[in-house]
Amino acid sequence: MAHIPDGVLSFPVLAGGAALAVGGVALGLRRMDEAEIPKTAILASTFFVASLVAVPVGPSSVHLLLSGLMGLVLGLRAIPAVFVGLLLQAVLFGFGGITSLGVDLVDIAFPGVAAALIARPALARAQGWRVGALGAAVAAAGVAGTAACVSLALALSSADYVPSLRVIALTYIPLALAEAALTGGVVAYLKRVKPEALGLAEEAAA
Amino acid sequence: MSAPRLLPLALLLTLGLTTSASAHRLKLFLTVEDGALGGYAFFIGGGRPSGADVIVKQSGREVYRGKTDDHGDFRWKPPAPADYSVTIDAGDGHWAEAAVTADRLGGAEAPSPPVETAPPPQAAPACAPTDAAAQAKLIEAQVDRAVARQLRPLLEAYDQAEGRVRFNDVMGGIGMIVGLAGAGLWASARRQKRRDDGHGD
Repeated sequence: MAHIPDGVLSFPVLAGGAALAVGGVALGLRRMDEAEIPKTAILASTFFVASLVAVPVGPSSVHLLLSGLMGLVLGLRAIPAVFVGLLLQAVLFGFGGITSLGVDLVDIAFPGVAAALIARPALARAQGWRVGALGAAVAAAGVAGTAACVSLALALSSADYVPSLRVIALTYIPLALAEAALTGGVVAYLKRVKPEALGLAEEAAA
Repeated sequence: MSAPRLLPLALLLTLGLTTSASAHRLKLFLTVEDGALGGYAFFIGGGRPSGADVIVKQSGREVYRGKTDDHGDFRWKPPAPADYSVTIDAGDGHWAEAAVTADRLGGAEAPSPPVETAPPPQAAPACAPTDAAAQAKLIEAQVDRAVARQLRPLLEAYDQAEGRVRFNDVMGGIGMIVGLAGAGLWASARRQKRRDDGHGD
């Protein structure tokens, strides 16, 4: 449900989302240097494919977002990566509308990136099982943030949506658990073998 | 420079997830049976929303509002054939629309079939085989029903297939991202080269 189609949201919400999205993409692109491009592209394609696959949950269906993982690995660069993935999904498959692209980008990318930036100092110090737990927490917070942003965007657009927001919250719980398990495992692995992939080595060396 | 290490991980994730190429989008299967609008909403990849709003509009004006049942089905018999558009709103931002034209809705009732000098309506006995107009109408209704029954699986399969995520499209999208990365690298390499040349002079 993070892919909101055209014709659902009101104009002010769409405009606000687009403005935030442009700012985020610009911020992310300014951080992009040569060495980061391949990593960003790989995660963008992972996001593009992973969030195409939906699993029915109750009356709705959910798909992976991976925003916590992308935030941890890419930092602000996750925003342009998610943007490219979303744009291709909208153009190729009609998932999410073109006008709502900005709102979708804010919903999906911003919470994960914010959670990852907050958690990064703690992650640099963490040892042992705490690394995985922190990764899991970032992923869960990213999903919760996405649920909150989607709900906010819908509620701001029309009061008709308010009753069904509880359903959204419920369907996001299994998603948050799945993402937490996945991201926790990947982050624990990366911290052990390749800490600089999480942006930690520069800080350690500095 | 962690890309080489990340690559197998990302590929593993990707391959693990593409085995069931299903996707996230609400679609609406809409059909006409016995002059009634019917069908269901479904998520590509499985799942049908129950209790979703069904809104039927006739030239932009709402004429009916209901809900899908436990199986995600809905059915509504319009008072008269007309062009209708049906919207399913799952309420969580999922939304699908389809339209039906008047002639599919038994529009045949309005222009009567060509009958040779329809006899004046008599006292109408229980079985009046001579009433050609009534008989033609009856046959037409039966044929409509039979055709609708036979076509339904075909239309359903078409709607399903139309929304499926195709492997070619997925690969095209990934290729696009690789191309963008290449363009980015090219641009930054050019910038680097110009800077180096500048220092060399």
